Amino acid sequence: MASVNKLERHQARMAYLFITPTMLLFAVFMVIPVVMALYLSFTNYDVLSSNDWVGLDNYRRLIGDTLLWQTFINVFYYAIVFVPLNLLISLLFAMLLNKKIRGVKLFRTFYYLPTLTSAVAAATVWIWMLHPEYGLINGLLAYFGITGPAWVSQTETAMLSIIVMTLWQSVGSNMIIYLAGLQGVPDYLYETARLDGASRFACFRYITWPQLRPTTFLVSVMSIIGALQLFDQAFVLTQGGPANVTKTPVYLIYQQGFNQLQMGYASAQAFVLAMAILVFSLVSMKITKAEEPIV
Amino acid sequence: MKKWMLVMLVTVLFGAMLAACGGGGNSGNAGNGGGSGSGNGGDGGDSGNTKKVKLTFWGDWGGEGQKQFETMVDAFNKSQDKIEVKYVLQQDMVTKFLTAATSGGAPDILFWDRWRTSLYAPKNVLRPIDDYMERDGVNKADFFEESLKELTNNDKLYGLPLTVDARALFYNKKMFADAGLEAPTTWEELEQAAKTLTKWNGSKLETSGFSMADAGLFNMYLQQAGGQMLGEDGKTNFNNAQGKQVLEFWQRLLNEDKVYKVGFEQGLGEGTDAFVTGKVAMLYTGPWMMSTYNKYGKDLDYGIVPPPAGPNGDKGSVMGGFGLVIPQGSKHPDEAWEFIKWWTANKDNALLWAKTSLNLPGFKPALGDPFFTEDPLWKPFTETLEFAKTRPTHPGYSVMEENALIPNLQLLLQNKQSIDDTLKKAQEQGDKLLEENAVVK
Repeated sequence: MASVNKLERHQARMAYLFITPTMLLFAVFMVIPVVMALYLSFTNYDVLSSNDWVGLDNYRRLIGDTLLWQTFINVFYYAIVFVPLNLLISLLFAMLLNKKIRGVKLFRTFYYLPTLTSAVAAATVWIWMLHPEYGLINGLLAYFGITGPAWVSQTETAMLSIIVMTLWQSVGSNMIIYLAGLQGVPDYLYETARLDGASRFACFRYITWPQLRPTTFLVSVMSIIGALQLFDQAFVLTQGGPANVTKTPVYLIYQQGFNQLQMGYASAQAFVLAMAILVFSLVSMKITKAEEPIV
Repeated sequence: MKKWMLVMLVTVLFGAMLAACGGGGNSGNAGNGGGSGSGNGGDGGDSGNTKKVKLTFWGDWGGEGQKQFETMVDAFNKSQDKIEVKYVLQQDMVTKFLTAATSGGAPDILFWDRWRTSLYAPKNVLRPIDDYMERDGVNKADFFEESLKELTNNDKLYGLPLTVDARALFYNKKMFADAGLEAPTTWEELEQAAKTLTKWNGSKLETSGFSMADAGLFNMYLQQAGGQMLGEDGKTNFNNAQGKQVLEFWQRLLNEDKVYKVGFEQGLGEGTDAFVTGKVAMLYTGPWMMSTYNKYGKDLDYGIVPPPAGPNGDKGSVMGGFGLVIPQGSKHPDEAWEFIKWWTANKDNALLWAKTSLNLPGFKPALGDPFFTEDPLWKPFTETLEFAKTRPTHPGYSVMEENALIPNLQLLLQNKQSIDDTLKKAQEQGDKLLEENAVVK
């Protein structure tokens, strides 16, 4: 017995040794900055001259900051439309491209391509397509006698334009994740279901969807985080305008911290955003039932 | 329960990333500042054999701008044998300076967007130059008072203006000649010309008489109406008759005369620029667009006039531009001052700079050169500069304009908010932002 204990102790020591570098990096680059930021959110830190404890002042100021709450409403609206559509479309594409047809690999590449374009380059092209007079989209609408809106400049359609563009850009990579998920569903499940006379829809409803639960969870959490952190596409496409409808929290945090040198207040804003992401992720976990085991 | 922890973990990770961006600028970038700091520190002491003082000059102009800076730096280095300046391109200069200023790696000279002075000077990171000005007898009257005001904080001057600019009215000469019009000098003439030159094809705008893309030009119109953005008390000062006059003018142009359509110029740039391609007949812009127009507008024949005067004959334009400042952390402020003086307060050098970079120099005697006074494209700008005013030097001004004023103006331009509501909301939200972003001691 003694020798077994000794072996276990040795193994444990080695295990700690092996995870030490990662944990050290994690502590230095993740834990310490988070703790620092939390501390700074209670100060009037401005990078240059002051760093005094101000208690809850920053958080009190947050409550009356109507613009911050508007940016939160903006990204919530964005997330609520974007995340489900993102899941749906990528799953649809993945199921289509999971078929064994000739040339399917070519299509997979095509659908993945937008992901590889830089956000700024893509936005530049989309601005062109969405131009009120010379754009492709309003050109098509004109065939049907419809005068299209000034997509990115009007308050009603600006966020919609960003949703469409970011969908175009992110569906590709999520499709790949779903493809991997689909190929991991064991064939025998479908075989037995078909023997029992299950319809195609029933196969999807009772086999594919439940089996994909971990994948759906991953995709949804990642897109929620991405959605609440929306910044570059919105910035290039609309510069936060018109009338603040596409301004996002990350943009405000940057502006407050680096342009206005109010790093303390910016840290407080960042913490509120982090909390919002936590809440949204938990909700998504409940909806996708991620903690239940898959059969 | 483990998934729960995963979510927590992901959140913490995310928070950390934001923190690294938001709060932890000190830890993340310190390495950078330190690096350039050591390179900087080396120059003072040990270059014993040359005896030259080496200075570092930071700027954020790359490409053509970098070549223009280097031309000036080379000329300075050749002009004497005691000081050697080196230009270092810093893409994200202001952020770099933030960390350098605290970690001791600050450069000796900084290319400076003047409006930032009111934000940085109170933090004690810039060196006042009043003593040098007095010692060397540099005449303040040789610079535009407005541009010096922007570099002044609490009665101390923090640098000298390198460039000045202001918007003036660009117009398409051919379209004006075809319609038998003269360049406008008043709001009324501007409206008339814009109305005449606008062409619609059903619901499609083919030619816009006058570009109204930028609601940020409100400041300029307000001056033309005889108002100003901030009052003496440091609060907004546009919810009044003058502000109303501007918005009534805008609303008339946009909704009655229909000279423009919201979003018309979005995404049109360079070769497809609406003014270059003749889709816009008039617009307010500055000298920085001239190279684009000359490059892409082979058939474009344009003229420039100072901004038309408002109903009571008031003129107005917004002056902007850059300056050179000395950070508090510089180890050789005396030599840095020599460089700044050589470049900004000497007629020949300011002129060389102007001709190299096609910028209007901040030094008035250089602006009196025939290069500017006899060129029909430069002359309107030198005239405009005589009455142009800089933005108010309140540290919260730009946030107020961007987050409170412009969004409300955009609602008005889209016909979604009345004039009274627009001014009232812009005032309320603007005053709040000004107060929150004022310097706290």
